[in-house]
Amino acid sequence: MIPIENFLILSALLFAIGFYGVMARRSAILILMSVELMLAAVAINFIAFATYLDADAFSGLVFALFVITVAAAEVGLALGIVLRLYRERRTANVDEADSLKW
Amino acid sequence: MGMEQAWVLPAIPVVLFVLIALFNGLMPRRGDFLAILGMATVVGLVFLLLLDFTGSFRAGEFVPGGSNVFAFDWINIGQGFFVIEFSTYVDAITMVMLPVVTIVALMVMIYSTEYMRGEPRYGWYFAVLSLFVAAMLTLVLSGNLIQLYLAWEGVGLASYLLIGFYWERQSAAEAAKKAFVTTRIGDVGLLIGIILLWRATGTFDIQQIIAAATSGQIDSTYLTVSMLFLFGGAVGKSAQFPLHVWLPDAMEGPTPVSALIHAATMVVAGVYLVARFSPVYAEVLVARDVILYVGLFTAFMAGTQGLVSNDIKRVLAYSTVSQLGFMFVALGVGAVGAAMFHLFTHAFFKALLFLGSGSVIHATHRQEVEGLGGLRHKMPITTATFIVGSLALAGIPIFAGFFSKDEILHALISDGPAWAYLVLAATAVLTAIYSTRLVLLTFFGKPKDQHAYDHAHESGPAMTGPLVLLAILATVSGFFVFDQVGEALGLAGGIGALVYLDQPHHFTTLDWTFAAGAAGSALAGVIVGWAYWGGDAKRAVGARSWAPDLHAFLVNRWYMDHLFQAIIDRVILGLASVVAWFDKRIVNETGVDGGAQTIGYFGYRLKFLQTGKIPNYALGMAVGVVALTLIAVGG
Amino acid sequence: MFDRLPLPSQFDRTIVAGGTVVALVALPVVLVLLALLFADQISAAEMVFFLAATVILAGALGSVLLPNVVHAALSLVATLLGVAGIYLLLLTEFIALVQVLVYGGGVVILLLFALMLTNVADDPVVSDGSQKPFAMIVAAIMGSLFIAVMLDAQWGNPAATLVPFSEFGARIFRDFSIPVIVVAILLDIALTGAFVNARTAEEASEPRTEEAAA
Repeated sequence: MIPIENFLILSALLFAIGFYGVMARRSAILILMSVELMLAAVAINFIAFATYLDADAFSGLVFALFVITVAAAEVGLALGIVLRLYRERRTANVDEADSLKW
Repeated sequence: MGMEQAWVLPAIPVVLFVLIALFNGLMPRRGDFLAILGMATVVGLVFLLLLDFTGSFRAGEFVPGGSNVFAFDWINIGQGFFVIEFSTYVDAITMVMLPVVTIVALMVMIYSTEYMRGEPRYGWYFAVLSLFVAAMLTLVLSGNLIQLYLAWEGVGLASYLLIGFYWERQSAAEAAKKAFVTTRIGDVGLLIGIILLWRATGTFDIQQIIAAATSGQIDSTYLTVSMLFLFGGAVGKSAQFPLHVWLPDAMEGPTPVSALIHAATMVVAGVYLVARFSPVYAEVLVARDVILYVGLFTAFMAGTQGLVSNDIKRVLAYSTVSQLGFMFVALGVGAVGAAMFHLFTHAFFKALLFLGSGSVIHATHRQEVEGLGGLRHKMPITTATFIVGSLALAGIPIFAGFFSKDEILHALISDGPAWAYLVLAATAVLTAIYSTRLVLLTFFGKPKDQHAYDHAHESGPAMTGPLVLLAILATVSGFFVFDQVGEALGLAGGIGALVYLDQPHHFTTLDWTFAAGAAGSALAGVIVGWAYWGGDAKRAVGARSWAPDLHAFLVNRWYMDHLFQAIIDRVILGLASVVAWFDKRIVNETGVDGGAQTIGYFGYRLKFLQTGKIPNYALGMAVGVVALTLIAVGG
Repeated sequence: MFDRLPLPSQFDRTIVAGGTVVALVALPVVLVLLALLFADQISAAEMVFFLAATVILAGALGSVLLPNVVHAALSLVATLLGVAGIYLLLLTEFIALVQVLVYGGGVVILLLFALMLTNVADDPVVSDGSQKPFAMIVAAIMGSLFIAVMLDAQWGNPAATLVPFSEFGARIFRDFSIPVIVVAILLDIALTGAFVNARTAEEASEPRTEEAAA
């Protein structure tokens, strides 16, 4: 059987790459894609733990399922916001939307 | 209704207050009928409670000290270290207060429907009256000091709101402020007293405190000091020297309010408080002497001021202060029964006098005796009832005031110093003189203001009805003193035995010679008054020009207000300016502004961190996650 | 047949370039793994895992590094399909199916639509943010830290009895009915929010024209 560490290392790498994307990218859509990578990493962890460590092997599955659902909802909503931002500012680049700064 | 349900009594007016205050605009007649119906219910319940009380008294089931009949923990901190209960406590003193408060309140509410008709804020007026009644009933029923203090402030609040009812008028707003601030000085004393007693006994329960104090668990000096602070609260609320100055000004409120709050009920809260703690005061004779002399001085001083005042309501206000002084004198010699008895009769005849004066004011729109006179032709019912009230106040036999005042004088000559008795007897004569003067100037003689006289008319039944009823009570309430009356009402041992539970004292042995002397002096006072102010009051005018300085001294209320104003201007404002300087320079400019400026400086310097760009924040977050993970793993 | 579907030349180039890259990256890896398998160095399951891991990591790197947004999105598809493979490897077929359906079918399409609706057609190349070097350092530290922590921990023995595919529905709606309802509400709200956000501009402009007409 494949050792669990393999999956965990894969998920850690995937998570780090996703986080790099969130920090480095300018386009809001690309940032969203990077967030999807991070969510996938988390889901892999859940499933791996469920399969390897949980005698019932079900709670982790459900969590992964919910992570996927929430990710889908998040993408739908966030893309709506991106479109709105694009209409208002003619750009989808997050560093041009800096009205948070006084 | 048994004693266990006594908490219902204040609950009814509380609900009414909320209902009327919020929804009076939606109700027919602005909800006044609701207040009156609720009040009538409370009166009925009080009598049911009285039946239960006398029944258990007769059956010998009643514990002389009364009992906590309803209690639950309101606040409990530290497993009984600091417990505040909500409790009702019913005993003889409570049973004297309850009928007084509720009956007078009902009369005043009925009276107000005509007196206040067409006023703006009519519904609010009845709402606040309900609030007052609720607070007053909580006060007399409360079994612990915190609840009592709460109700104490509650009646103060209602009093403030009602004195300032016509707040558009500058003088009314100022009088309300003065009353609130002046009584507040006393209230602080009360609070200090409560805290001192809690420190010594660890409880707020009144009966436990009394038990602890009378069994000598508290150091006597400490007890004396705390009881004097407690008396400070009574001084403020009951308008005793030196905090008496607010009561005459409180007459700015509507007259029925003066009758209810500033004559019959709220101002006797101080008497009630001292009476409630009378077993403790019996232990600390120094404090009791202080009460005696304060009461004595106040009684005399207010009596002299009442002699010269021109405002019909102010005369009554001075007389109230003076009569409260009488009660404190009785408490000062330990005659609790006499004080409570005087409280009982005084409430009825003083409420009657106020409501009568209100009837006069309502009819003539004048309240200076200089502008009245001869009204007996126009207002027969008001005149007759007012005379009954004045005779009761003056202490003429068969009327209520005679019996109660006689009791006080008798207690004083038995247990007090002789010169105190002389002063108080002189005050009693003064009382007779000024009440005669008031009646003569208002209802007899020639009209001094023809216009007002022409417009005067007898008031309607809603006003005269309560007058007649109170006049009957002012006449017969004195007879309760006789044991036979009590037995006829079904009380073994008479009412004396009920009211004087811990020190049985029977009135059948009324000292007739002494009573005759008191009656004679009262009669003499009436005659003197008649001689001076009868007809066109020539002799009174002569007396005024004979001693103009004395007259000015009395008219200016012994220059007491001037003195207080001077103290406030020189001492308090001087101290306040020092404090204000400290507050402005040190606290505000250095502490508050300085702190804000420091933060503002750093904020300005660190502003560059806030780029407003989301990736920057994400990077910051990542650094934080790494740092936290390092701490968690490394630690 | 292809002349009936006139693809834009740019898209054509994308396919060709992507195919070349995948072949260049995947072929050596597949060959190495096959060699190892036949040499009995690794089991078949391990070979599948490493293959999937290669696809995932390569796709992930592509989606965060490629300058062209369309390339990045297509590279994301590779990653998500690889993740589905990992799920299969972990014996959870249902999740793998959901992953393919929701991500491959829904999310990526949505992302591509969003790309189309913004100014991608005019300017498909987006430069990265100025903090790129810092981000690289921090992400590297983070990833190595996580790996270190995961290797450090003792994970105990595998003890799993898997829920059969046939019981999955019964289990989820019986034992997790409340979370399912909550997630349903969340989806509803998200949908409404997306709808409102996307529509508001036109809604707001309509009454103004009516007023102008009146």
